[in-house]
Formats: sequence, structure tokens, C-alpha cells
Amino acid sequence: METAELQDKIFAFVQAAQGKKKLKEKDIINGMNAETGIDKDVVKKAMRGMIDVGRLMYSYGGGASSVEIPSEEYLREKGLIK
Amino acid sequence: MKKYNTPLIDDLEKGPWPSFVTEMKKAAKNNEMANDALGHLEKCYSTKVGYWKHGGIVGVLGYGGGVIGRYSELGEEFPGVAHFHTVRLNQPSGFFYTSKALKEICDIWDKYGSGLTNMHGSTGDVVLLGCRTESLEAVFAEYSSRGWDLGSSGSALRTPSCCVGPARCEWANYDTLGLNYALTQEFQDEMHRPSFSYKFKFKLSGCACDCVASLARSDMSIIGTWKGNIVIDQAEVKNYAKNGMDINAEIVNMCPTQCISYDGKEMKIDNAECNRCMHCIAKMTKALKPSGEKGATICIGSKAPIVVGSLLSWVIVPFIKLEPPYTELKDLIRKIWDWWDENAKPRERIGEVIEMKGMRSFLEYIGVPPMPQQIKEPRKDPFMFYTEDDIASFKTKEAEEKKTGKYKF
Repeated sequence: METAELQDKIFAFVQAAQGKKKLKEKDIINGMNAETGIDKDVVKKAMRGMIDVGRLMYSYGGGASSVEIPSEEYLREKGLIK
Repeated sequence: MKKYNTPLIDDLEKGPWPSFVTEMKKAAKNNEMANDALGHLEKCYSTKVGYWKHGGIVGVLGYGGGVIGRYSELGEEFPGVAHFHTVRLNQPSGFFYTSKALKEICDIWDKYGSGLTNMHGSTGDVVLLGCRTESLEAVFAEYSSRGWDLGSSGSALRTPSCCVGPARCEWANYDTLGLNYALTQEFQDEMHRPSFSYKFKFKLSGCACDCVASLARSDMSIIGTWKGNIVIDQAEVKNYAKNGMDINAEIVNMCPTQCISYDGKEMKIDNAECNRCMHCIAKMTKALKPSGEKGATICIGSKAPIVVGSLLSWVIVPFIKLEPPYTELKDLIRKIWDWWDENAKPRERIGEVIEMKGMRSFLEYIGVPPMPQQIKEPRKDPFMFYTEDDIASFKTKEAEEKKTGKYKF
């Protein structure tokens, strides 16, 4: 599977959990591995690539971190959209 | 700049001790954010309400930690603290700075933030208090251009910290500064990309005096120790007695394993019974010193109370040599994280998971054999539990003994 296609699947996975469950990195890696059979390190690398360009982002609450889809406000603040 | 009337917090300037209020007032003279923080604090004291909101989606692009979001509910009344995010900077090993480096940190922080700092946070980072969301990327860019990096926060490896070690202390049993730097470099990903169930802390002490309190404050406490005897200089022992030290009261009776004796002339130590606590050596620095092979004891699991009560770290490896490139230790750390990752629920520290799953399953997974030094306390229940493998091995042994006639019931 091409990285871009995998990243689309990761995005859909995170989107499906939005508002229901705070996903940790591990949840996404294990979930995608179970869904597609793709090696966990490959999933991790693809996900990190998405975080680096602001397609996904880390969030934090109560001392625990999760991975989420960034808000428009966040993207604007980082200069990724106008 | 608005002048706030602060009778309640002014009270905290009285007495002989340094006061954070005095320092905030100094910063408030030149900084609107610090000035509003002062007024906000007085309001919190007078209404007995904290107006802070914590967490959220603030940070630097690509990093999962290092910035902790804080907002005030009273942003309209105190606009300087509407956003008051904390930025953590990775401190140097052993907290050694040049005055030039400290000035650099403060100058950048005066430019973008409130100018208020906390040297250091309990994890060890330089804590920079109070910054607006839109300034975060600029703050990070400026610090990183001068060679500084963010510290850690959230469900990640927290910034490792260590004592001053061999740089200033003759008792360091290993190079705490070198190991601290090596762990920080090796596990950059685990620090900046939160992937754990909860936080994980290393603290490195060169000896059991434990100047960074690693035994109580870190998930993995790496505490220097030695294998040889304590060397005694009897002439110096006499000098301590001559100068008024009550050796029996201050040393012999305070030895936790009672392995020291003193008859008024000569001090003796039963080294086989010594647990290397450092009490006698720290009290009689000229008379006693460790000798022989040096390394560290690794303990696991201490934490402050959240899910369950506070825990102290527990010995898992009584002695390990610690020399670059520290491969054995790094491999052990990765195995420990694997087990924790497999077994922890969100917000469970490793000590809590060991309490729930048992030290046995933990040791089996990480491949460390059970040893007497790992015994934390005498067992409290009379039951013994055997695995399927244990029972099969007993049966094989029994059958063998029956064959050779050695079997006795």
C-alpha cells in the first residue's frame, strides 16, 4: 500500500473515533495493524509524517496524551491554512 | 500598566525567607503578563478559587510535549494571563550552566513570555511560566536556534535528570552526567512523541545519598553502588571521636543492618551485611570510603499518588556495570517498556502495573532472574503459587527420584 493511501486510512480511523475515544499512538498503530495487516513500524512512520505536517496532532489532558485531528484554529495558528 | 492592590499576597513577603511574590513584583515592573499574574493571584487568594484551565491542544508542530496549555477563566479582567502556557526546556545534565547560558534563557523568555521561571520543575526541566499560543513557535525557534530543546510532558518519557555526579562528587559510582546525556539522546523519540500509557521518569543518582531523590520520584531509579568493602582509616575514626562525635549513637546505632561495631578504639564493619546505604560514609567522610567494582542498582516503580497511593522504587537489578555505550541498560529499558505497554491501562504508571500483575510476571518478561535483593518485604500470606511449568518439573524430578530410589514422601 502506498504511504498516501495508508495515511488516508489512518485519518479515517482517527476520524471515526472522534468524540468517542481519545486515541493514543499505540491505539492507532495496533488498530491499523489489525485492520490492514501492515507492519506496525510502517504505520507509525506514516502517522508521524501526518503529525509533522499538521494533518494529525498531539493533544493533552489530565497528564495523558492522545492523537487527534487538528482544529482549523490550530492549523491557522501554525500557518498551515489562511 | 495597571497597578494591583495585593494585601493578601504581600503577606507572603514577610519573614526571613525568599518570597516568590517579591520576585513576581520585580518581573511585573517590566512585563504586562507578570503584572496581570500578580493581580490574578491576589484574586485567587481573595475568592479562594483557582481560575486556571489546564491542557488542550497547544504545542509546537511535530512535538507532543514540552508545552502545557494553561488558560485563565478571567481573561477579560486579566488579559495578560488569558493564555499563560508553560514551556519546558530540557535542562543540562546535573543542572550545570554558565551565567551566559542562563542570561540567554532569560532574555528570550523576557522577549516572548512573562519573564517568570521556575528553576527547576520537579521533573528537572527549566520551567518557563506564561506564554501566549501565538508566540510558541517563535519561542521554540529561537531557543532551538541556540541549541536548546524542549523538555517533555504528557504520556511520554519525561526529561531524564541526574545528580551532579563525578563533576563535583567523590562518591559518584558511575558517570551520572554521561548516562543522563546518553539516555536523553537515545530516547528522543520517546520524549517528544508521547506513545506510552502515562509518564515514565528516569532519575540518576551516583550513590545511595540519592541527591535527586530518585527512589521516591522516578519510575526507574538508577542509584550508584559498589561491590567491595568499606575502607576504614582508623586514625581518622579516632579524630572524629576526639572532635566530639558520638560514634556509637551517630553511626553504629543508626546503621540499618547493624553491621558496624565500635569499642571506643577501633571501628569494624561486617561488609557482607552492609547494604551500601551511605549513612556512615556520608557522616565520616574522612574515615570511610567505598572500594572495589562500581556500578548501579536499578529500582523500579516509584510515583506520587494518582491511580493508587504513592510508591517507592523496588530493586530489580542489584548490580549493573554502567559504561558507554550502556547497551545492556538500554536493552533492559526497552523490554521494560514493552511489558508496560502490553499490560497498562491509560494513566497507569509502571509501579502500579507491577503491583497489579505481580513482580513475577514482570521479571519473567524482562528476563531478569529472581534474586534475594529483590525481596521488598516478608510475605504476608501463607499460599504458594506454582506455574504449570513448575508442577511439570516437580513431577519429572519425583519420577526420577522414584526410579533411583531416592524418593522420600
